[in-house]
Amino acid sequence: MNMRKGIVGIVAILMVASLTVACSGKTKADNGKVTINFWHLDSNDLHYPEWEKIAAKFMEAHPNVDIKITVLENEAYKSKLATVMQSGNPPDIFRSWGGGVMNSYAESGLLKDITNEYKNKWDSKIGEGAVGVYSYKGKIYGLPYTMGGVGIWYNKDLLAKVGYTNPPETWKDFLDCVKKLKAAGITPIALGEGDKWPGHFWWVYLAVRLGGKEAFNKATIGNGSFNDETFVKAGELLQELIALKPFQEGFLAATYGGDQAALMGNGKAAMELMGQWAPAVEIGSSEDKKGLGDKLGFMSFPAVEGGKGKLTDLMGGGDGLVIGKNAPKEAVEFLKYITSVENEKFLTTGPLGIVPTAIGAETALTDPNLVAINKAVSAAAYFQLYYDQYLPPATGEVVKDATQGLFAGTMGPKEVAAAVDASYQAEKK
Amino acid sequence: MDVTTLAVTAKKGSSDHKAKATNRERALFYALLLPAFLLVTMFIIYPVVNTVFYSFYDWNGFGPLKNFVGLKNLRTLLRDPLFWNALRNNGIVIGFSIFVQLPIAFLLAILVSKSSSRPTIFFRTVFFLPYILSEIITGVIWRFIYHPQFGLLQQVFAKLAPDYSYTGFLADPKTVFIAILFVVFWKYFGFHMILYVAGLQGIPPEYYEAALIDGANPVQAFVYVTLPFMKNAIQMSLFFCIIGSLQVFDIIWSMGQGGPVHAAETAVVYLYKFGIKSSKMGFGSMVAIVIFVICLAFNVLYQRVINKEER
Amino acid sequence: MSARTTNARKAVSLSEGTKYAVLIFFALIILVPIYLAVIGGFKSIGQLNSDPVGFPKPFLAENYSNIFFKSGFFKYFLNSAIIMSVTVAIDVIVAALAGFALSRFTIKTKNLVYQYFLLGLLFPMTLAILPLYIQLRALGLLDTFIGVILPQTAFLLPFHILIFKGFIKEIPDELEDAVKIDGCGKMGFFMHVVVPLSRPAIATVSVLAMVASWNNFFLPLIVLNDKDKFTLPMGSMDFVGQYLADWNIILAFFVVSMVPAIAFYLYAQRHIVSGLAAGAVKG
Repeated sequence: MNMRKGIVGIVAILMVASLTVACSGKTKADNGKVTINFWHLDSNDLHYPEWEKIAAKFMEAHPNVDIKITVLENEAYKSKLATVMQSGNPPDIFRSWGGGVMNSYAESGLLKDITNEYKNKWDSKIGEGAVGVYSYKGKIYGLPYTMGGVGIWYNKDLLAKVGYTNPPETWKDFLDCVKKLKAAGITPIALGEGDKWPGHFWWVYLAVRLGGKEAFNKATIGNGSFNDETFVKAGELLQELIALKPFQEGFLAATYGGDQAALMGNGKAAMELMGQWAPAVEIGSSEDKKGLGDKLGFMSFPAVEGGKGKLTDLMGGGDGLVIGKNAPKEAVEFLKYITSVENEKFLTTGPLGIVPTAIGAETALTDPNLVAINKAVSAAAYFQLYYDQYLPPATGEVVKDATQGLFAGTMGPKEVAAAVDASYQAEKK
Repeated sequence: MDVTTLAVTAKKGSSDHKAKATNRERALFYALLLPAFLLVTMFIIYPVVNTVFYSFYDWNGFGPLKNFVGLKNLRTLLRDPLFWNALRNNGIVIGFSIFVQLPIAFLLAILVSKSSSRPTIFFRTVFFLPYILSEIITGVIWRFIYHPQFGLLQQVFAKLAPDYSYTGFLADPKTVFIAILFVVFWKYFGFHMILYVAGLQGIPPEYYEAALIDGANPVQAFVYVTLPFMKNAIQMSLFFCIIGSLQVFDIIWSMGQGGPVHAAETAVVYLYKFGIKSSKMGFGSMVAIVIFVICLAFNVLYQRVINKEER
Repeated sequence: MSARTTNARKAVSLSEGTKYAVLIFFALIILVPIYLAVIGGFKSIGQLNSDPVGFPKPFLAENYSNIFFKSGFFKYFLNSAIIMSVTVAIDVIVAALAGFALSRFTIKTKNLVYQYFLLGLLFPMTLAILPLYIQLRALGLLDTFIGVILPQTAFLLPFHILIFKGFIKEIPDELEDAVKIDGCGKMGFFMHVVVPLSRPAIATVSVLAMVASWNNFFLPLIVLNDKDKFTLPMGSMDFVGQYLADWNIILAFFVVSMVPAIAFYLYAQRHIVSGLAAGAVKG
């Protein structure tokens, strides 16, 4: 009996305490300060303190500002952001990859136009191609602080074992290299196709090499479509690669972080097609937390014989911040602060290891691979943001699904092109 | 005494013989129900009603509701082979659950319901354990077991059948659904087993004694004594089994998001992918309503069957 | 006669053997994965990758202790605990009152009301998430614990009302008549007879509510912004996002998250059968 009373007592106290905490859950900013809600997704132990430091420095310089940071890991961030945007109440400054997803926010009036501030009152200058990713119908809604590209990361030792001291530069060469690696018992390519987006990189790049900017523009804003030859042929070439069975066992359910990057970082696969964050993630996913170090090389995606695209054409993306429609002007100031040369250098040399966009900040880059990427970004006449971000969200999902079908052998090149086209026609307005 | 006359439906307590309620009682009745009514209305019914509205729009979910399209979402939905693929998968889940999961749960219930000895309590506790785990944890544990490079199964195959190259059940569209069905079984059979244990423990032993005296063999005892008393438990188990199978999402999502290539995609997974993740809230709402209507239709059928039985 | 009983006895001991074999087989199916997860947390990532089944060598207790001290585990734990206790309390009280009303009153609209509540079973939370979010925002409940507790409780009510209704219906009318003679009204009957007798149902509903709240990932994700308010499942997803390929640490984190739910279950489990028996099965 006494134990029961004791339990009842404890429960009662807990309830009262909980209700008090529960009801006081809302924090108010009634103290005259301006609050900035800042959302990002660098949830890693090593990464999120960097943002806290920048926020702290800004708050020191602007004592009337209070920056509240919400940080979530990648998938949770996307889910939560989707819900928040759908309710019409965007954060003040938040991470976005630009492109079609951002465009739909802008179209619905959820973002603040900062064209004027950027053109006239900004401290730093950012490359046009990069800024373009964060523009919609001529208006700028945010800026990237890092912009990079996707290319082939390769294990120099493993490639040397089969006679490649320099990486293959054409598609035919590349397929030969894959065959030799497979014959030597080395997994040629690591691929986390369970996540689907790593696989779609291959299809996009083949289309970029085959048809270049022209073909893409023709399909999206011209009188062509995704059924055009470029996109069908991209599927055919990819099928050639898939037929060689170059990926690790079970790649269809593998994840990028847990499997693809880990295989590379542990030296168990020769190559991966990935963006500028690849070295950092390989290190994080490897067993010894050191990754490949300077054994890791980077090369552009191979040239395709007869392709109309230029070798300088680059597919990739970066990370940037956009401004919500209700944001106070201090949020724009904060963005200016982050994209300043000084702060981009800070982010470059820290654990985030970004490839900076502010012109002048790239002098802080030490990794030769990243320097190469930075140069490639500036040199690219045609910079293609990954399709799953560039195209409308529904079409992005279809591209990922359809290309996974190619990898699984359940869809052919024509079907993939048709599926993407059907979705794009339905979504473009 | 004929054994069959002993087959009775479970007794129900009833206050139907009492006098009609007074006004004061009526007020008390509604007062007692008010908190539940408010919560359910505000947080379930109201969102459902809103969902109906959204389904008539081609809306991406951002900003104000716009783009009325009438029943276009429904037409698109019914024409999409992937939707029928999802429904077919739901059907497979239901079939698997009714013909594999529930019978096994029933069998195990029989084995653990007789006594309250330490061993039986131990087994009962263990069997219900997976139900307590979250779907995320379950997904992580099983993804780890199925992992092609360093999972348990890979090791087992390597030792027992070194010639077989194990590529991961979750990675092969032909095996992924069965692999996930096994996990669904693993997680939920304990719940149904407990329902059956509860039912079995409610059967008065006199009926079995009477049956034995009448010379019934075990099969007859099962059919004429056990089953009739188990009717309620079985009905409840079937109800939750079918509704749960129609709504299954978390476990499938955490084990590959319905893939690869839609092989394990069910209705709610389809909704999440093509509605929420594709920023097509209007379409997603229509899918939700269709799923809801299917559940509702099942519920109506179920109530009718039960009520017919009771007459 | 005696031959028959001897044969019967033989048959019984044979079947005892097979009975235990079957039980042990299924128990292993459940326990082996959990065992692997638990010991996985004690291994180094190298050993985990090469030898998932064997015993940890070296035995790394620090994976587990690191979780407690480094990852903000206690904060997430406390948040989950607070949300869970209030949910359970509200759920039990509201469901018991409603179950009592639906089982011991004779009002014509009783069945209609009951069917209304059952509608809630047909619509999972995932489908309702966007309108629910908008609703919570309109009520000013975003980023609060109450904003998680109330909808969570709402979705649990239909099943739990069903359990209480079935259970309370079983209480003999004579008991109600008896206390009436002593001058107790309906509520007196409720407080002095129904509640004490409903221990199994209360235990069952508490365990079910506790488990549902503890494991709920989606709703807190949508409602809560402030990292300090995150619940344990959100913390674990964060964890997975950080420690992508460090399965050993991930497993350790998840195992630790399971412990409170399992502990509570083990404490209350003897009531679950009787609670469900009277509540769900007979009802």
